[in-house]
Amino acid sequence: MTTKQKVYLVDDEPALLRALSRLLRAEGFDVTTFNSATSFLETYDPTLPACVVLDVSMPEMTGLELQQHLINSASNFSLVFLTANGDIPMSVRAIKAGAVDFLTKPVKDSELIGAIRLGIKKTEDNQSLRNEVQLLKERLILLTNREKEVFTHVVAGEPNKLIASALGITEQTIKVHRGRVMHKMGAESLAQLVRIAERLGHLDSN
Amino acid sequence: MNWVTIIWSMVASASLTLAGIHGLVWYRQRSALASLMFCLMATATAGMAACELWMMSVQTTLEYNYALQCFNVLRWMITLSMVGFVHFYLGTGRKWLALSVCGLRTFGLLLNFTLTPNIYYSSITELRKIMFLGKSVTIVEGTPNPLMFVGQLSLILLAVYLVDATMRGHRLGIHRSLIVGISMIVFVMALSLQTFFVLWESMDTPIIASLFFMGIVATMGLELSNDMVRAAILASNLQNREYELHRERQLTDAIFESAPGMLYLHAREGQIVRWNSQHEKITGYSNEETKLMKAENLFRPEDLTKLNRSWDRAFSKGSDEIVVDLIRKDGHAIRHLFTMVRVEVRGKPHLVGIGVDLSSQRALAIETAQHNEEMAQLAQMASMSELSSSIAHELNQPLTIILSNAQAAQRLLAREKPDIKELREILDDIVSADIRAADVIKKLRTILSRGVPALEQVEPMDLFDKAISLAQADVDASGVFIIKKTASNLPKLYADRIPVEQVLINLIKNACDAMQDTDPPSRHLSLSCKQDSGFIQFSVQDNGCGLPENPERIFDAFHSTKPSGLGLGLAISRTIIRAHGGQLWAESAKNRGAIFHFNLPLDASNS
Repeated sequence: MTTKQKVYLVDDEPALLRALSRLLRAEGFDVTTFNSATSFLETYDPTLPACVVLDVSMPEMTGLELQQHLINSASNFSLVFLTANGDIPMSVRAIKAGAVDFLTKPVKDSELIGAIRLGIKKTEDNQSLRNEVQLLKERLILLTNREKEVFTHVVAGEPNKLIASALGITEQTIKVHRGRVMHKMGAESLAQLVRIAERLGHLDSN
Repeated sequence: MNWVTIIWSMVASASLTLAGIHGLVWYRQRSALASLMFCLMATATAGMAACELWMMSVQTTLEYNYALQCFNVLRWMITLSMVGFVHFYLGTGRKWLALSVCGLRTFGLLLNFTLTPNIYYSSITELRKIMFLGKSVTIVEGTPNPLMFVGQLSLILLAVYLVDATMRGHRLGIHRSLIVGISMIVFVMALSLQTFFVLWESMDTPIIASLFFMGIVATMGLELSNDMVRAAILASNLQNREYELHRERQLTDAIFESAPGMLYLHAREGQIVRWNSQHEKITGYSNEETKLMKAENLFRPEDLTKLNRSWDRAFSKGSDEIVVDLIRKDGHAIRHLFTMVRVEVRGKPHLVGIGVDLSSQRALAIETAQHNEEMAQLAQMASMSELSSSIAHELNQPLTIILSNAQAAQRLLAREKPDIKELREILDDIVSADIRAADVIKKLRTILSRGVPALEQVEPMDLFDKAISLAQADVDASGVFIIKKTASNLPKLYADRIPVEQVLINLIKNACDAMQDTDPPSRHLSLSCKQDSGFIQFSVQDNGCGLPENPERIFDAFHSTKPSGLGLGLAISRTIIRAHGGQLWAESAKNRGAIFHFNLPLDASNS
């Protein structure tokens, strides 16, 4: 492991924060603790991916409210909930809203660590997808308007002849545009180009 | 006295009287120009009668000539006022004919003054006395003037004008035109004939034109009087109608004002036409502002589609109702139920209806709920399930701290060089968390045993009623029907009210839970209370799932039959009752279900 993986702990009980951070540090994580949801929101950097372990019931702002805040901020994060007396509706709500796990106190070390690892993997996967889409978006900007049109038609599965008549230019020109689109978007085959379009479209629909 | 004097004086005086009456009418009501014309004509007729009397008694040709001049002026006046009367009264005559008649007559009058001796005679030969109606009267003999035809022509034109006006009036359906017109025509024709015979055929009669004009004046006067009578009847009808309208208005005003909420009437386009004072109070808009508003201004723009649909339905089907937020002038939203009924007002469809403030009813419901909640809080002690969950939380927290610290220590010890300093800190934290957990348990024990209860005098029935009211929400939610069986005149008992209420609530809630699988109609919960020697015994009986084989086990702590329960409720309840010196036990009911009994001693010294 080259860099220590970052974990944020949020709980209103200082003794519990100490105990959990000792456990997680011993396991090799880079732990930062916060004694309230608000102090976490004030301090953390929303542009960085984050795995957050938090208590459900805290004064001021509850864990579920913090979850909503993070969802609205569109940052890349994963959540592991801890609760002393969570009920089923509460856990369903948390999981539905994308929490990795909902654990009850006292929590077994293996369960907690497993959930954190899963959360970190989730943020990493998410990050690489985000990076890829970002790259593709940058490439997309390089396309001329005509090339974008051709791109749309090509990934819709239309043959060159049809695209040519639709855009009112010769088939030969379409071939040239098509070659440039493939090159600029870094696609080696039509299949790859379609996948790229899917990624971009997927992101747009978000 | 002779007939001539009598008739002519009567004509004159009658005409003057009529002239006076209608002159007064015109004086009072300047727009009644027909009356003015009539007044002029009648005055002239009176003058003419006088003039004729004069002519009948002249002694010299010169005097006769003066009289005739005078006669002609009056004649001119009569003609003009008659034309004027027809014009203003019937309004059907042709203007050019009227002007022609007046013009010719005026021309004739001018000729009369320029010709010598006058327009009727080129020369007057002699004056003669004849007997007429028993009086010796003067008539003249002379050569008729051919220019007299101007006068005759104007008479004929007048007749034509009258016939035309009458016909047109008749065709337009003006009833009075026929009577007035025909009488005028008849008298004018008769007059023409008489004049013709007197002048051309030297008939031996004096000029008696005033009689004919008197005839016309009489008919006109009659018609005008009829009109006045009709107007008077109309006016009195109008007054009655106005009075009735006024009363109707007062009645609807009273109805509008008596409505419990806002009442309104608005047009198809939304203008608010009428409203009551409640409307002003509720919306906050003054009457002046409401006048300029449309119904839609009282609502949120996003509610308008729904409102328009409702209005359309009301206009097409006759009535509708809708629940929507009314937005006050100050921006406050008040939920209202609006009823609307279509009505025709001045031939246009309108909606009338009332707005019932639902928020006040809702506010009442919320208030009641809040009140209940406050009462529950007054009970101070959290309900059993809340207590268990708070125990769970209080114990879980230190247990987690202990577990996590211990697991961290295991990991540290697995290293080659364990950090002794950190291990010491870990052990310190474990010790303090352990002490904390022990404190929680100690606190719990004090709550449960509570030492000697704080006793007060309590009516047994009050305990039941309070417990039922606090558990009512759960009872209603479970669809359970409560039957209370109580003995009368139960003695008061000494108890710590709040914990005992909690025991009752706990038993009621348990019973409701036990009847989840019971048929809804037979979900009966009977609560009874009776005196049993030195105790008051309370019983809660359900017909639910019943008790397990060994009923005593259910009073053990952490024994639970419910998936979400901790199994502390009955254990705590028994502790509370025992602290009062009573007993809590359970038995199976005869058919199905369970009965829970507890008793409390009557006298405090028993505990």
